[in-house]
Amino acid sequence: MAKIGVFICHCGENIGGRVDCSKIVEALGEHPGVSVSVEYKYFCSDPGQESVKKAIRENHLTGIVVAACSPRMHEATFRKACAEAGLNPYLCEIANIREQCSWVHSDKDMATEKAIDITRSMVEKVKLNNNLHPIEVPVTRRAMVIGGGIAGIQAALDIANAGQEVVLVEKEPSLGGHMAQLSETFPTLDCSQCIMTPRMVEAAQHPNITLLTYSEVEKVEGYIGNFTVRVKKKSRFVDMQTCTGCGDCYTKCPVKKIPSEFDCGLGRRTAIFTPFAQSVPNNPIIDKDHCIYFKNGKCQLCVKACKFDAINFTFQDEYLDLEIGAIVVATGFQVQDTAMYGEYGYGKYPDVITGLQFERLASASGPTAGKILRPSDQKEPQHIVFIQCAGSRDPSKGVRYCSKICCMYTAKHAMLYTHKVHGGKTSIFYMDIRAGGKGYDEFTRRAIEEDEASYLRGRVSKVWQENGKLMVRGVDTLLGRPVEVEADMVVLATAMVPQPGAKEFAKTIGIGYDEYGFYNEAHLKLRPVESSTAGIFLAGACQSPKDIPDSVAQASASASKVLALFSKDRLEREPVIASCNEATCAGCWGCVLACPYNAIEKKDILDRSGKVIKQVASVNPGLCQGCGTCVTFCRSNSIDLAGFTEKQIFAEVMGL
Amino acid sequence: MSIEVQYRDRAKELLAKGEVKLVIGYGGGSTPNRRRPVFASSPEEVDRLVLDSLCIANLSGYLVTEGLLSDEKKVAVFLRPEGIRSINILAAENQLNADQVVILGFETAGSDIRPLEGGNVLDFSEFIVTLSENRVVSDSDPVIDKLENMSAQERFSFWQDEFSKCIKCYACRQACPMCYCRRCIVDCNQPQWINTSAHTLGNFEWNIIRAFHLAGRCVECGNCDRACPVNIPLRLVNRRMAVEALNSFDHFAGLSVTQEPVLASFKKDDTETFIL
Ligand SMILES: Cc1cc2nc3c(=O)[nH]c(=O)nc-3n(C[C@H](O)[C@H](O)[C@H](O)COP(=O)(O)OP(=O)(O)OC[C@H]3O[C@@H](n4cnc5c(N)ncnc54)[C@H](O)[C@@H]3O)c2cc1C
Ligand code: SF4
Ligand code: SF4
Ligand code: SF4
Ligand code: SF4
Repeated sequence: MAKIGVFICHCGENIGGRVDCSKIVEALGEHPGVSVSVEYKYFCSDPGQESVKKAIRENHLTGIVVAACSPRMHEATFRKACAEAGLNPYLCEIANIREQCSWVHSDKDMATEKAIDITRSMVEKVKLNNNLHPIEVPVTRRAMVIGGGIAGIQAALDIANAGQEVVLVEKEPSLGGHMAQLSETFPTLDCSQCIMTPRMVEAAQHPNITLLTYSEVEKVEGYIGNFTVRVKKKSRFVDMQTCTGCGDCYTKCPVKKIPSEFDCGLGRRTAIFTPFAQSVPNNPIIDKDHCIYFKNGKCQLCVKACKFDAINFTFQDEYLDLEIGAIVVATGFQVQDTAMYGEYGYGKYPDVITGLQFERLASASGPTAGKILRPSDQKEPQHIVFIQCAGSRDPSKGVRYCSKICCMYTAKHAMLYTHKVHGGKTSIFYMDIRAGGKGYDEFTRRAIEEDEASYLRGRVSKVWQENGKLMVRGVDTLLGRPVEVEADMVVLATAMVPQPGAKEFAKTIGIGYDEYGFYNEAHLKLRPVESSTAGIFLAGACQSPKDIPDSVAQASASASKVLALFSKDRLEREPVIASCNEATCAGCWGCVLACPYNAIEKKDILDRSGKVIKQVASVNPGLCQGCGTCVTFCRSNSIDLAGFTEKQIFAEVMGL
Repeated sequence: MSIEVQYRDRAKELLAKGEVKLVIGYGGGSTPNRRRPVFASSPEEVDRLVLDSLCIANLSGYLVTEGLLSDEKKVAVFLRPEGIRSINILAAENQLNADQVVILGFETAGSDIRPLEGGNVLDFSEFIVTLSENRVVSDSDPVIDKLENMSAQERFSFWQDEFSKCIKCYACRQACPMCYCRRCIVDCNQPQWINTSAHTLGNFEWNIIRAFHLAGRCVECGNCDRACPVNIPLRLVNRRMAVEALNSFDHFAGLSVTQEPVLASFKKDDTETFIL
């Protein structure tokens, strides 16, 4: 005979204010099989839990239902209370009468009725619950960090310094990401490469880090603690063991006019190249699309130039299948293509450039060796106009969100420019100055007060060329009148947007993303570095626009999550797993294909002489994650999920 | 030589040479314009075979009879294009080994009947690809068009009227080659999701579940529609689901022996219109 205890929580006013808890107590008290029905202000409190335990012991309850908040909040709490009172923890069910009832309804009578229904349905379910026992699975203590920008490097170093193995995967030929492209960084104006390159070298040389550059993640299978990741190592056509990075090859390469990606098209590179002088690793790669040999089978000048015979055109892509316990995704961002702003003339006028291009002009390692020169005639501009929010906060053409860093880097650009070009003038069109952060507001004040940046509040409507000058027309909303400014160069503070293919990549590794393609955290406030998939963490600008300090902080946070996971040998898993009824399974393999965790195997049923008489599905309990996908697929209803059996669900539905 | 004679000769030869152990074809039925299945396991029995434009049933379902193919011997079967597609599905769903099936393929158009070249299902690959390419989504059917133009309420009452006639005889299931489960979901009584008694709600549950189970799998052979003793236009439901699978997931049922079931597979470019 069922003896069910029902505990109705007021959650202070959260539930008590909207539903009549005494009515629920009364109704459930009369429900068949219920021996205890009580209410309390906060069942999750210590005395609340004690009263639950006491009720279980004294009434020899066979199951309990706590009518309270979402099971995501306190299921674990009450399961623990059950265990302490000697009841199997899986005989506890939560009826969510807060998120799914009191919070979303205003009519008290109707809400009360609904709360009674929800609770009843869980009572019907719990009557059919069985004792279940947790499953233990091993943890592979090797992390993978995807993306070798500052966020990825930081996460990899933190994990490696704690003594755990890391595989760092970067799709470009060198580590570094965007930070390697920057000149000096706000708010301290320290040289970006000077603080970045030591980290890159440290990561490359760390005994616990395996660095895979020019490599891409192709497939992720498995689950927390036990992923299998397939990585494609694209062929560099240069043997990294014998190459010394001397650079003889690229000085000889005859294809010299390829726009350099690293210099945002402002500089040129050869077909065999390293992206920049401090690349890590510093072995070059051959760009197949531009190499003459790959076009017509001739040339090979680089091969002849190499003293170490390191270049080989027959090298192929390699595939590695790696066992991984946890993954940190740090794939970063890109700057938005500003072509959609035809009126700003980007792409049409060479002296209209993006902020990232300005970084390259201001960098000592850049195409102008750090001199600010106009791309059109290599002359020093005397007046630069900066246009902020060129894409951000513009629902009609750009993106709705604020890119967070552009106010700061525009102030930085204005400062760097006046430091380099004495007497140079700057005008900055802005919507608001957003400078929240340590030392940030002081920084923008400095740009205005010490470096005489002239801020004009308003948007720019048009940029055009007239008598060799760029004309910028906008409004000054503070003065309430249109303005026209003559400039030698215009810099657009373009929005930070997700990497191209970010959504596709999210599907490949199985994590969630928002409408733009930024990766979703499990909880914006309370679990900001976990993705929605257990064992996969997020770091840096792939989650949302971030500056360097935020990216680094999030990277260290995700590293600590990985280390916490690796602190145990084995992981305890919920015993909610599927099993197949071999008598009724039709062996159609639909479930085998549908299972996202590849947990279902094909099993032969043999007769006495060893002949296969039929084939059926068989669930591997170590791999099954209890998602229930197979159950919904199976046409013959041959798969069932422990803890959520068909019978339980049916009882739950019929209890309504 | 008429196609009937031609195919009889071929069937005879297959049996005589021992290439197949059985030929499944058509024979005369209870009335002059009906055909019923004929199972010939010796050359002598072949003379009972008939092949004309009245031979429309999809015979592929007999191949999954328990134990028929377990001796690894071959069976020949008369199939129209839909039947050939159902061989692909049955093979893709691990219900038979397509290499054990010798196809005697034919096509009908009105009273015209033409042979289709080939024996193994792979020989028909190109032909099926052409079928899929020529599949006109809006393939005009006056009743379908009428239904499409109804309001949701009108459409609901249309189906309510139709399904209320169902007597739960399960002839549709029995006739369908794709309904091969050892235990059908309607036969589950722990718990009993689908009411067994023939009232409108239970009938709805049954017919809608069957429609979902056939989504992306039904080849529109019409076996179920013809089998239904109370003339429920089941082909309309199946047609609608086929159009849905084609439009939403570019899925043409029975395209190849390796085709993945549309409801169990996931492609990165699948539409996500159903995700809010
Ligand atoms: C113009 C400009 C100026 C800036 N100035 C400053 C400043 O002064 N101070 C400051 O604090 N911040 C500044 N920032 C912001 C700073 O660039 C970012 O905060 C920082 O680069 C974010 O680091 P990240 O590692 O998250 O991303 P990224 O730097 O974008 O690195 C991501 C890395 O992942 C790799 N990757 C991407 N996809 C894959 C994949 N599928 N597989 C493997 N690898 C992949 C990329 O190749 C890249 O190397 C500026 C940004 C811009 C645009
Ligand atoms: S889906 Fe169902 S019938 Fe098909 S193999 Fe899986 S368990 Fe068996
Ligand atoms: S519940 Fe089914 S689909 Fe989900 S992981 Fe387990 S076996 Fe795979
Ligand atoms: S559902 Fe009907 S039309 Fe479709 S394959 Fe089955 S029997 Fe043929
Ligand atoms: S054949 Fe017709 S009456 Fe019989 S179960 Fe199917 S739909 Fe109902």
